[in-house]
Amino acid sequence: MSESTVRYSPRGRAGAIKGFLRRFLGYGGAQVGLVCLMFFLIVAAVPGILVGPLQTAINATGDFLVPPSSQHLLGTDEVGRDVLNLVVHGARISLTIALLATVISLVLGTTIGMTAGYYGGRADVWLMRLTDFFFVMPSFVLALVITPVVLEVMGRGGEILGLRPSLFVIIVVIGMTSWAFVARIVRSQTLSLKERTFIDRARIAGSSNLSIMVRHLLPNLVPQIGANGALVVAGAIYVETSLSFLGLGDPLQPSWGTLLSLAQRAGAASAGAWWCLGAPGVCVLMVSLSFVLIGNALDDTFNPRRRVIP
Amino acid sequence: MSRRIFRIVFRALGTLLTVAILNFILFRIVPGDPAQLLLAGARTSVTVQQMDAQRARWGLDRPLFPDQVVDYLSATLHGDLGYSFKFRGRPVADLILERLPATIVLVGLAQMIAILCGVLFGIYAGWRRGGAVDRIATGASMALYTMPSFWLAMVLVVIFSTGLGWLPGYGIYSPGANIGSTDRFLDYLRHLVLPVTALALGLIGQYVVVARAAMSEVVTEDYMVTARAKGLTNGQMLMRHAFRNAMLPVVTLITLNLGYVVAGAITVEAVFAWPGIGGLTVEALNARDYPVLQGIFLLLGASIVLANLIADLAYGLLDPRVRQ
Repeated sequence: MSESTVRYSPRGRAGAIKGFLRRFLGYGGAQVGLVCLMFFLIVAAVPGILVGPLQTAINATGDFLVPPSSQHLLGTDEVGRDVLNLVVHGARISLTIALLATVISLVLGTTIGMTAGYYGGRADVWLMRLTDFFFVMPSFVLALVITPVVLEVMGRGGEILGLRPSLFVIIVVIGMTSWAFVARIVRSQTLSLKERTFIDRARIAGSSNLSIMVRHLLPNLVPQIGANGALVVAGAIYVETSLSFLGLGDPLQPSWGTLLSLAQRAGAASAGAWWCLGAPGVCVLMVSLSFVLIGNALDDTFNPRRRVIP
Repeated sequence: MSRRIFRIVFRALGTLLTVAILNFILFRIVPGDPAQLLLAGARTSVTVQQMDAQRARWGLDRPLFPDQVVDYLSATLHGDLGYSFKFRGRPVADLILERLPATIVLVGLAQMIAILCGVLFGIYAGWRRGGAVDRIATGASMALYTMPSFWLAMVLVVIFSTGLGWLPGYGIYSPGANIGSTDRFLDYLRHLVLPVTALALGLIGQYVVVARAAMSEVVTEDYMVTARAKGLTNGQMLMRHAFRNAMLPVVTLITLNLGYVVAGAITVEAVFAWPGIGGLTVEALNARDYPVLQGIFLLLGASIVLANLIADLAYGLLDPRVRQ
């Protein structure tokens, strides 16, 4: 058995990471995705430095619906706010929602999938029945009814962890409805991993179930979780943008979807104000595309079966 | 075989029941006494007796479980989905049935176009991997399916409706069109073009990606080598061996991605003020018309469960390995 001779020395791990990076960065899609994503992450990190504070109807700097000019690079919206300013601040909101929702989804999916796969038996049956429900019911449809009801219960005022309640609710609802896909993959991977000798060895050495799952199973699941996590982010952006477009976002912390919703309500499309709706849409497209490209490249890197097929 | 069908149908019914119960719970955690909501429009002040009478009339004085749940489920089974807040107390089922045809036309046409184009391009791209068609189709379809359909709809309106003035970008009929004439039908078709295109383009992206991936796997299978060794032409290999096997994942996707189609349809309808379920959803959301929202959720849930049921059964018919 090769496992018994492998030493997880720091150098071996560093070598493995280096090899992984070489293969991963060899994909053109991964390079494009990473560069694009880095750009948006930097923009989202320091919106204030780049374009100043978020403009509102009160401190708007321009005229109504002015086409792009040297003063307003992306034009202005229906109340005279600079579109570039809105889009840059929107990057922060949109990425925060998508990434936090993904974290919730990955934690839930991994926990449920790993528990079901590791313990098997009745726990497996019931957890998978739960997973099947969320697998069948799309996140968007569930979020569409759950979000307004939860908002009504909580109220729309105040802030939770620096986020407006509606955004907080959207994050939690997307996170809690989009984990089924991850849980299925993690479970099937766990089923095959738990039969391997290093798990038996850990058990004989006296490790508890929890410790086996966290210290031995989880590190081996990271590739699958990573590759699918990137796709979960893309899905979360799609759901968030659609929900915000239908008016479930928050105008005080506008995401790209909320900006599109405001543009739609102001009749930007029929007024020919393409700059109002072009910029947020292109941003959504570029960010989700980068996550899909990164996810596909990760999948290709980790999955030898897919490497055969160009 | 029959055991498999029984299990699939049983599971679908279980999911449907969960949707209905979730619906019930969600509706009951909305703050405010339903009886108060019902009497909110009363002109004079309401006495405690009147309030109690309302509670008794609507069964709100009985325990939540099991009485009210059973009442709710039985009413739902009889097609009683409650009454709308916004539309002057009209039955929710009537509202939904009234709006359903417009959505079915939109989604049906978009699906048909998307399946035809998506499968053709995807199969061809997978068959001739690395060729010009493959590169363009793969790149374009990735962009198309990550793009929110409603944004695509807005872009189409800006270009073809506001910019070029070729097609209408709003509503289902032009104002003042003659009722019952052929002109009116043509007018309807012209109004359909942009919404259907917006919805179909996103779907085409998905079908191309899946059909291509399926085809790419099929062509590396041993039976394709055998087929070539037997001396079959490319066309015969494609039609007799590759196409049928590559269709399996595509058929599953067509039935399973109804959730994506629904998200697309609802938001695209919002862009065009299309008088379908999507338009109704937006109106219900804005007015916090919960009964309507719950009715729509039930409708979507039921259609998704049905689509899954069809997918599972169809898979058994298409793939003999599943039947055993």
